[in-house]
Amino acid sequence: MVPTICALCGPSSGCGLACYVRDGRLVRVEGMKESPVNRGKLCPKAYASAQWLYSPQRLKHPLRRIGEKGEGRFEQISWDEALDTIAAKLGEQKENYGARSLAVLSPQGRSYKEYILRFMMAHGSPNFGHSGICFIQRALGFAYTLGAFEAGFNPDYERADVILVWGGNPVFSGAPMGELERVLDARERGAKLVVIKPELQPDAAKADLWLPVRPGTDGALALAMLNVIVNERLYDADFVVRRCHGFDELVPHVQQYTPEWAEPITGLPASQIREVARLYGGAASACIRTGNAFDQTVDSNHAVRAVAILMAITGNLDRPGGNVAPAGSTMPPLKPVHLRERYTQEAIDDLVAPELAPGLQPFLEGTSSAYYRCFDSVLTGDPYPIKTIIAPGTQPTVITRGSGRVVEALRELEFFVVIDVMENASMPWADIVVPVTTMYESDHPFEVARTRAGDWLMARSKVVEPLGDYKSDYEFWLDLAVRMGHGDDFWHGDIEACMDYRLENLGLTMQELRAHPSGIVYEPGPMRYEKYDQLFATPSPRISGAPYLPQGKVAVYNTTFEQLGFSPLPEWVEPPESPTATPELLERYPLTFFDTHTTDVYNHGWLRNVPYLREAQPEPWVHVHPGTARGRGIEDGDWVIVESPHGWVKLKAVHFPGIRPDTVMGVHGWWQGCDELDLPGYPLLDGGANVNVLYSTDPEKAFDPVVTAMPKHTLVQLRKCP
Amino acid sequence: MTTEPGQYGFLFDERRCVQCRTCELACKSTCDVEPGVRWRRLTEEWAGAYPALVRTFFSLACMHCATPACAEACAAGAISKRPGDGIVVVDRAKCDGCRDCLAACPYAVPQFGSDGTMQKCDYCLGVGREPACTQSCPADALVYGPLEELRTAAVARATKTLDGTETTGPSIVIVT
Repeated sequence: MVPTICALCGPSSGCGLACYVRDGRLVRVEGMKESPVNRGKLCPKAYASAQWLYSPQRLKHPLRRIGEKGEGRFEQISWDEALDTIAAKLGEQKENYGARSLAVLSPQGRSYKEYILRFMMAHGSPNFGHSGICFIQRALGFAYTLGAFEAGFNPDYERADVILVWGGNPVFSGAPMGELERVLDARERGAKLVVIKPELQPDAAKADLWLPVRPGTDGALALAMLNVIVNERLYDADFVVRRCHGFDELVPHVQQYTPEWAEPITGLPASQIREVARLYGGAASACIRTGNAFDQTVDSNHAVRAVAILMAITGNLDRPGGNVAPAGSTMPPLKPVHLRERYTQEAIDDLVAPELAPGLQPFLEGTSSAYYRCFDSVLTGDPYPIKTIIAPGTQPTVITRGSGRVVEALRELEFFVVIDVMENASMPWADIVVPVTTMYESDHPFEVARTRAGDWLMARSKVVEPLGDYKSDYEFWLDLAVRMGHGDDFWHGDIEACMDYRLENLGLTMQELRAHPSGIVYEPGPMRYEKYDQLFATPSPRISGAPYLPQGKVAVYNTTFEQLGFSPLPEWVEPPESPTATPELLERYPLTFFDTHTTDVYNHGWLRNVPYLREAQPEPWVHVHPGTARGRGIEDGDWVIVESPHGWVKLKAVHFPGIRPDTVMGVHGWWQGCDELDLPGYPLLDGGANVNVLYSTDPEKAFDPVVTAMPKHTLVQLRKCP
Repeated sequence: MTTEPGQYGFLFDERRCVQCRTCELACKSTCDVEPGVRWRRLTEEWAGAYPALVRTFFSLACMHCATPACAEACAAGAISKRPGDGIVVVDRAKCDGCRDCLAACPYAVPQFGSDGTMQKCDYCLGVGREPACTQSCPADALVYGPLEELRTAAVARATKTLDGTETTGPSIVIVT
């Protein structure tokens, strides 16, 4: 048995794995009992991961393109040749176009992200192309409203009387990591569970109250809840007076957002909106667990702030049973990889397309440009064209919206590098493809997971030898930096020295850490509530270090946003297409379409090649209410054409009784085939199964102006395939 | 139906199962079950009409019945119930692939893979510890243990039985 750490999902640090190896081959995995993250549990994806490791689609050697872009013809080259080529090209472009012409796309949350950011800093480009589909949008709204972003993400389930699971899914994401168990335990002891989402997913099946909100209208629901809570005086008057800035401005502002106003937008009866507002506002303690619905909507900044204000004015912030800032840590701080102290205002001004408003950068991860807009700049040259894109562990052709435009940009791009463990959907356009290790083939890095039982520090172990000529993502960035003359900043390419440097404050070396096969747990600090003086003074990561909250109070009325030209109070913004935004489209496109990024067996754009997972969901499906389907002559299992004003896909209709009859749902990220089961892949653009072709990328309508969130909902028609 | 004193079984808590599919995949990967074959599988039921719906889940595997209908139906004598722990085991060398066991089982448990012989759950006998499905359940909805202990644990709880329980006596407690 060899212990290691899973890396199949993000952004949290992974679950502990117990790996069983026979004759140098991984035969099966179990959850590691000693890990406080997963306590011996695992998810379906991890259980299937030996098939993923040994997939015939694994990349074994670096490749150089020999065919036309998009054709997918390559020749095998060595690791050194691949890195030399990339280093030479980046050097030449830095000379000719400036360092900013490089964009590196963000992978799904992974610890090697820090190494990318370090490289970008050394190279001199601010353009970390962040995908803007998860977490950061909520983190920003929570941080600049509540002072501490963690509080927004951290429901105190054990002490809550009412729990709202809103636009997220604790069953399909991170089920072994304890949250699911906590929600079920809370329900069993009598807490009321409210689940807000368009579909009766398994978590909603457990709810006392299910609100089938129309996709993309969570912000309108939150505003109407504020209306009820303000007008029925369900707020905590003392907290509002002492700890909130601008409540007096909120009161007249939310008068326009009555439940009756929200009814046609959200598709929920006004009476139900009142019911949930009273339940949440009237409870002695209540918490909210949000999800990606808030990150992938054009009113994202408003919706997040509205929810944050709900938490605060009802007196549920950092109080037992509410949304709380976690207990402190007893673990000494790690030495950071990221060279944040080198940020300059010029770097922010130089962003090709700021993901977050420049006045709010750098944020938690550093500076960032919007992922999709990096591609757009290739075609528009506005404000300047990106010349090289490196895509580590991310597939722009299926992950962001507007796949057609992304492909167009990939054809135009001067240099494109793909880094992945597997053949991927963007690889045909790559100039150089660099394979890297999976979590089973590398003895680094160490990972840290913050859990309620303490901080868990563990070194990754090499479970099996790499299957080909490649190294880890971490080593890639070190090797590239050394080649480009940044050896002093990159431990001269020595990954072990890098690990040792990071551990210095802990009085440990990587070698010593490896002597703890199941890692080390640092006890959590004591949990205290109502840490307002501390939370509301939290410094922001901007260069100035100014606190998130200028008044030292919850920013109900947000003067920071106001000074940047954004609305100081949360408002409702219609998406590019919806029944209320574009009623004129309803005759041709009468149904609302949206997608989910995670199912029980898939997340994002990969894992369809794993037989154990693929057999559970062999085809790309669309959930349709049986009544809606039959009205169109669509039987369960029929292939249907789903057409929006922007494109069309072919999906397999699944009659699903628990979805709004005016709404249908698909799954994001479909393209990949499964060789072992002889199941096909699908085209990336129209006629395939990539739902991103359905959505608007209108520069005026499809981006939240503060956080560039892009909506994942539109209007469609369904018809049976001829 | 009398239960052997040493009989092991499952407890399934309908209130906690969330159809996450972990049990199904833990089973497959631990017992190296080929694709297309499911020793454990999830089922669901819908009741009511939108939006007043009730959706319930069940995780089904061999329940090692007190009187296994599959064993009675097996002319080749490939299926037997072990004394002591009551595990219903298949001797695949004896199985002729006639599928009479599948026809006899009220729960449609028997599975057939590429070699055509019957295969199913054996409580992870080959792995030599608690079954992977119960060990892995992130919702604590599926529990393994001595059947009498599971029955005792559920004594104050509402329970239900499956169709076919009267004739075969499956070793399961379903809490609702």
